Amino acid sequence: MTASFPKAQVVVYPGSNCDRDALWALRYVGFDAEFVDIRSHIGSDVNLLVLPGGFSYGDYLRVGAVAAREPISSEIRDFMSRGGLIIGICNGFQILIEMGILPGALLQNSTGKFICKIVDLEVVDNETPFTRYFERGERIRLPIAHGFGRYVKTNGLVNSQDNVVFRYAQDVNGSDELIAGISNENKNVLGLMPHPERAIEKLIGSDDGLRVFLSAFNYIKTSSENMLEKTKVGVA
Amino acid sequence: MKYIDILERQLGRKATKAEIEAFTVMWSEHCGYSHTKGYIRQLPRVGFGGNAGIVSLDDYHFIAFKVESHNHPSAIEPFNGAATGVGGIIRDILAMGARPTAILDSLHMDKITEGIIDGISDYGNSIGVPTVGGELRISDYYKYNPLVNVMAVGVGRNEHLIPSTAQKPGQVIVIFGGATGRDGIHGASFASEDLTGEKATKLSIQVGDPFAEKMLIEAFLEMVEEGLVEGAQDLGAGGVLSATSELVAKANLGAIVHLDRMPLREPDMNPVEILISESQERMAVVTSAEKANRVIEIARRHLLFADIVVEVTETGRYVAKYNDETVIDVPAKLLEESPEERTYGYRPVEMPKFNWIKFKNVDAHEIFERYDYMVGTDTVVRPGYGPAVMRVKSSGGYSLVIHSRADLGLQEPYWAAYITLLECVRKTLSIGARPLAVTDGINYADPDVQPEGLAAQMKGLKDACEFANVPVASGNASLYNTYKGNGIPPTLVIGMIGKLENLNVPRPRKSAIYAIGFKDFKLEREKLLWNEIERIAKAGYFVVSMHDFSTMSTLKQELQKTGLDMKVKSPKCEPVHQLIMVFGDVDTKLPKELIGYCN
Repeated sequence: MTASFPKAQVVVYPGSNCDRDALWALRYVGFDAEFVDIRSHIGSDVNLLVLPGGFSYGDYLRVGAVAAREPISSEIRDFMSRGGLIIGICNGFQILIEMGILPGALLQNSTGKFICKIVDLEVVDNETPFTRYFERGERIRLPIAHGFGRYVKTNGLVNSQDNVVFRYAQDVNGSDELIAGISNENKNVLGLMPHPERAIEKLIGSDDGLRVFLSAFNYIKTSSENMLEKTKVGVA
Repeated sequence: MKYIDILERQLGRKATKAEIEAFTVMWSEHCGYSHTKGYIRQLPRVGFGGNAGIVSLDDYHFIAFKVESHNHPSAIEPFNGAATGVGGIIRDILAMGARPTAILDSLHMDKITEGIIDGISDYGNSIGVPTVGGELRISDYYKYNPLVNVMAVGVGRNEHLIPSTAQKPGQVIVIFGGATGRDGIHGASFASEDLTGEKATKLSIQVGDPFAEKMLIEAFLEMVEEGLVEGAQDLGAGGVLSATSELVAKANLGAIVHLDRMPLREPDMNPVEILISESQERMAVVTSAEKANRVIEIARRHLLFADIVVEVTETGRYVAKYNDETVIDVPAKLLEESPEERTYGYRPVEMPKFNWIKFKNVDAHEIFERYDYMVGTDTVVRPGYGPAVMRVKSSGGYSLVIHSRADLGLQEPYWAAYITLLECVRKTLSIGARPLAVTDGINYADPDVQPEGLAAQMKGLKDACEFANVPVASGNASLYNTYKGNGIPPTLVIGMIGKLENLNVPRPRKSAIYAIGFKDFKLEREKLLWNEIERIAKAGYFVVSMHDFSTMSTLKQELQKTGLDMKVKSPKCEPVHQLIMVFGDVDTKLPKELIGYCN
C-alpha cells in the first residue's frame, strides 16, 4: 500500500478571490489540492478544507453572511465533526463565524478603512495542527488585507473560551486583545484574518505563512501513518 | 448634436430621433476620437486596435494592457465614477482573453478626494485584482476637473487571444452580465463636453457592482478556456450600440439586434435607452449558434443574465429591433466612422528652460495601503518604490510604470510629453527591466480652443517613442476637461510595460547614496544615461529615478517599513534633469556625488 499525499479542497464561493492563491500555496507544500464548488461535495478522502479570502456575494449583506447559509455549510459541519482540518482565511474566517463554528464577531476596522499591509504577529498557541512548526511566542510577519477584521469577543453568548492562536504585535484594526486568529476547542478549525497563503515565498515578501500549511501537511501525514501503524498492530 | 449636418448628408435624408441619439453617442469625442485619431495614426504602434494593447511576454504568454480615464464621472460622483473606471478598463483587458492581473492609477486632484480613493479601493479589492502602483499628484489645477486614469494589465495564454471582431454571417452575439438600467445614459456624450454641459447630471454616471464584475471575469475566462469565444467586446461607453456595432463593423458585417431580449433592471425603459445605456458589468461574446447555449449556461451558473441578442448578418447594416419595431437601421460602418477633425502640424522648438511648478508632496501610503496590492500572490515589488514588478507563475516577470509631467505640460506640451516617455524608460530600466511598449492617456482641455497644444503633445509622444524605439500599444483620450471654459494643464499619462529576465530585482540596503548623472538635460546624453542605469541595476544596485528628488516622503516611509533609514540631501537639479539616485558605491563614467546614507 502506497501512502498518498494529504488531500485538500478549497471551497470556492461566488466572489471568493483568494481561492487560486490558496490552491497555489497548498500545492506548493505538497497537498493534492483542488477546488470545490458550492454546488458539489466535499470529498470523502479530504483531509483539509480551506475557506479562502475574498468578497463572497460581494459582502453585500454582511460579510460572510450569505455564504454561511449555502447548502455546503452542512457538509462543512459534518467534515468538522469527523475531525477534518479547516482553515478559514479572511473572508473564510468571517464565514466560519457566521456559521457559528467559531465564536465572536468580525466588524469593520476601527479606522473605517480597508487595510492592506504586512504586519507582525505573535504565535500564541503552537499546539494546533496548523501551528506546530512555530515556536510559542514567536514573532512572524503575515499580510493582512481586509475592511472587516476587527475581532470582537462574544464569550457570554457562546459559553466557551476563545482559543487565541495569533495576536497582532500592535493594534492594526481595533481587535479585542489584538486577536488575529482563533481556533475551536478541538483545535481542528483555525480562523484568521492574516493571509498565510500570501506568504509562502520570500520573493513576494514573506514565507512565514508556509509553516501554517506545512504544519497541517505533516500533522495529517503523521496522524495517518499512526493510524496505519495502529491498524497493522491490530491485525497482528 | 454636433455633427448633425454630416450625418444627414451621409444618410441622404433627415435623421430620425433614434438615430440622432445613437450617433450622438457613437460620434462623441469619447467614443469616436474625432480630435485625436489623426494623431494616433501617426504613432509607432504594436498590438494596436483591439480592446487593449497586446505585447508578447514569452513563447506562451501575451500581456494585454491599457490606460483609460474616468475624469468626468469622478468629478460629479467620485465614488461610482472612480469605481466604474476600474471596472471598465478591467473588462477591456478581459475581452482580449487575458486574466486581469494588475491595476495602476494615476490621480490628479486638488486634495485627496476620499470618494475617489474609496471607489477604486472598493471595486478593485472586491474583484481580486491587485492595485500595484500609481501616481498621486495634488494641485489646485485639478480643483474642478480631477483626473482619474486607471491602467489595467492582464496575462493570457497565446492560444486564448480573442479578436475584437465578428468573423462571418451566421455567428451570434451573446450579451451577458448584470441587468440593464438607466444608469450612464449619454455617459459618453457627457464625458465629451465641459463639466457644466447639459449632460452633466448624475443620470449619466454609471453605478458599479463589483460582485457582478468578479462573476463576469470568472464566467468569461471559463468560456475562453472552453473555446467558446470567437470574438469579444466589453460594454462600456455607448453600451450595446457601441459594443455590437464595433464587433460587426470591423469585419464589414451587419447585425440584427433584439433589444427586447436584454434583461432590464428598470422594466419601463424605451428601446433607445436600452440601446445606449452604459450599465456596467456586461460583455458581448461572439460565438456560433451551436456554442451559444453553453455560453449562456456558464453565465447563468455564475449568477449572471445572458441571452442571444444579436445575429451577425452579411448586409453591413446595423438594425436594432424591439420585437417587430425597427428602432434604427443604418450602415454599421457609419456608426464607426465618426467625423474626423483636422489635425495640426507641429514643428518642435528647442526645449525651453522649464520652471519648477511644485505639486504638493504627499505620502502615498495612506492611499495604497487601502488597496489590496497583493491578491494573486504575484506582486514582487510592493507600491512605494516606484515601478511595480509582477511575476507570471512558472514564467518570467514584467514591470509596470505609470507617469506624467503636467508641471511641464503647463509650460510646453511637446517637451512635456517627450520627457514623460524618457522618464518612463529610466524607471523601467531602474529595476532591471527592458521597455516593451506603452499605453497613452491623453488628458486635455478644449481641443477646439487650443488645438496647438494637443498637436504638440501628440508630436512629442510620437518623437519620443521613435527616439526610444518603444511603440504604443493602446491609448485613451479624454478631452474637454474644462469647467466653465477653464481647463486642466495638458496631462499626458504614460503607462509602460517592461520585461524582466530576472525576478531577483535590486533592493535597497544599508549603503552610501549617490546622485549620478547630470543636473540638467541634453537629449544627446539620454541613451548614455540609459546604458548606465541598465548596467548599474543589472549589477544589483538599487536605483531610484524620480523627476523631483525633493519630494521623497513615500520612499522614505517605505524604507522605514523595512527597517532602513534614508538620510539624503536632495540633489539640486532642473525640473528636467538626467540624475538618478543609487544605493551603493558604483563605478561610473558619469558625474557622481555622495548625497547621503541609508542605515
